Amino acid sequence: MIRFELVTLGGVKFGEDVYEVLLPTLEGQIGVMPGHMPLISVATHGVIGVRRKASDKDDMIEYYATNGGVIEVANDVLRVLVDEADNADDINEQEAQKAFDYAHKLKLEAKDQVSLEHAQGMIDRQSVRLQVAGLKRRHR
Amino acid sequence: MANTIVLKRRIGSVKNTKQITKAMELVAASKMRRAQEFAQHGRAYREAAYSLLTRLSAITEVNDHPLFVKRNIKTRLYVVITSNRGLAGSYNSNVIRLLAKAIIEDNKSGVKSQIIAIGKQAAQFARRLEGVDLVAAYDGYGDQPTSNDVRPLLSSLSEMYADKKVDDVQILYTEFKSNIVQIAKSLSLLPARFEATENVDSLAQVTFEPSVAEVLDSVTERLLEVQLWQALLESLASEHSMRMMAMKSATDNASDLIDDLTLAFNTARQSAITQELAEITGGAEAMK
Repeated sequence: MIRFELVTLGGVKFGEDVYEVLLPTLEGQIGVMPGHMPLISVATHGVIGVRRKASDKDDMIEYYATNGGVIEVANDVLRVLVDEADNADDINEQEAQKAFDYAHKLKLEAKDQVSLEHAQGMIDRQSVRLQVAGLKRRHR
Repeated sequence: MANTIVLKRRIGSVKNTKQITKAMELVAASKMRRAQEFAQHGRAYREAAYSLLTRLSAITEVNDHPLFVKRNIKTRLYVVITSNRGLAGSYNSNVIRLLAKAIIEDNKSGVKSQIIAIGKQAAQFARRLEGVDLVAAYDGYGDQPTSNDVRPLLSSLSEMYADKKVDDVQILYTEFKSNIVQIAKSLSLLPARFEATENVDSLAQVTFEPSVAEVLDSVTERLLEVQLWQALLESLASEHSMRMMAMKSATDNASDLIDDLTLAFNTARQSAITQELAEITGGAEAMK
């Protein structure tokens, strides 16, 4: 088992021993399992998946939407430092869809670089949330 | 009789005021509890970011990073955290006094000052200042800020520092010591400071993806973010706590005022009755 700690600005969201964690990094998705070599990497916005036991099927994976951070693996402890991580259960798909559409509208209306970046950030965030909500629905 | 009517009306209006201040006190109290709780959550994040940076410093020269480099200070930027609304005791004035003092100091030493205001109160003050740039004014972040709120501010701060538009960034906020004690404080955000406190096991075998530099960028960003976040949340907790205290004393004052007015009202009523009685008996005497 590997200890998985999910640390966000809003507190520690997850801190348990698990079998496998799937993480989105700049270089693509990686899976971290017990005995992983020491690694420090940068996470991007994407979906974090947690498989608690080896016998868990794909539809039992827990998903979190995240918007980027730092990953550290050492001595069978995986610490992920992200601004925020939303559990699939906490995401309302309709709301996320609304926010996603709104962000697109903002992007079209953006006049300067700053508001454009802000809108793009919102789009990235909401698209990940939508993705996570979709994953959950599919497995139901 | 005219006197008692006036007094009665005043008692009524003070009672109304008391109800309002009492309600505001309760609202502030519940918001304060939530903000306090929130402020504590960030601690784990900061510790994790710090420990990562400590380990990074063992293999790379952290202090060469653009956000860590110290320069001669020509322009200093203040990020001033205040509330949107007043009626919070000395919450806003404490921070603004600190800002005024710092600007006077800067003037003496020939440093240009710039301001980024968070909350309407700071923006109002900064607009009236001469010779000081108000770079941006944010409208406050509500009662539950999210990391998405601070991100644009943080990225513009880092950019300004890396582009050498500013040489020093200070956050002026209110530190939440306890429910009773809150202190306006200045925290220096940039250049980022970091001292390796302990010796750590070598990172020689650790793989960095995509590169050490990019990991360092990301960790630094997170460290700054958590500092700004912490300042924001502590200010929020302080604001609510000071508003609660201010409203509590307003409620107490209203109670005192009601007591005084009731006493005056009773005296006036009694003297009116006495006078009336005297008039009646006087009238009856005359009829005999």
